[in-house]
Amino acid sequence: MPFYESVYIARPDISASQVEALTQQFTETVEAKGGKVTKNEYWGLRTLAYRIKKNRKGHFSLLNLDAPGEALGELDRVMRLNEDVLRYLTVRVDALEEGPSVMMTRGRDGRGRGRGFGGRDRDRGRGGPPRGGPPKGEARPAAETGPAPADRRAAQ
Amino acid sequence: MSRRPFLRRQKSCPFSGPHAPKIDYKDVRLLQRFVSERGKIVPRRITAVSTKKQRELARAIKRARNLALLPFLIR
Repeated sequence: MPFYESVYIARPDISASQVEALTQQFTETVEAKGGKVTKNEYWGLRTLAYRIKKNRKGHFSLLNLDAPGEALGELDRVMRLNEDVLRYLTVRVDALEEGPSVMMTRGRDGRGRGRGFGGRDRDRGRGGPPRGGPPKGEARPAAETGPAPADRRAAQ
Repeated sequence: MSRRPFLRRQKSCPFSGPHAPKIDYKDVRLLQRFVSERGKIVPRRITAVSTKKQRELARAIKRARNLALLPFLIR
């Protein structure tokens, strides 16, 4: 049977134990179709990157599945009908991860600030004054990443 | 003035080699490095990611966006 990973986001105003119950329910739907849930992970209440149905936070859960395709159709339907589920994503994977996923290993917020690329986007401030003033953070000069050499030569 | 003032160092793909990280839509910290301040995917001419890995990366970023792990745009 193929492997799948399924992540869903539950409404923030339900409790952790209710999330547990949801996971239980989804597990049962998968098992009813002859599939297996090899792992389930609860990532906790995380802040969403943008609002979904007026919510700023959500309970994230991950399920690792080893199930036939029909089970996925059913799971899909159940998740869509359930109003506590804000969003879900199921992807097929070549192999299921064993042990905790990155979400669990790297602290609660997987958000630290690594060194990023790209200072400013080109479309910022096109026509009219730039919104929000100078970009904050990232003291790196933008010239470092830009295609500078060509212009430099042309100027001489 | 005839010599090029800047010698461009050959950059290598951050996702190839023995200790390369695996591209995963759940790894927000990793993906965030390849997204601009505004939330756009950074072109590979800047990040030096190989074509194949860039495709994989773009897919991962889009999945992460869908799950509200990454923003679609930052105002």
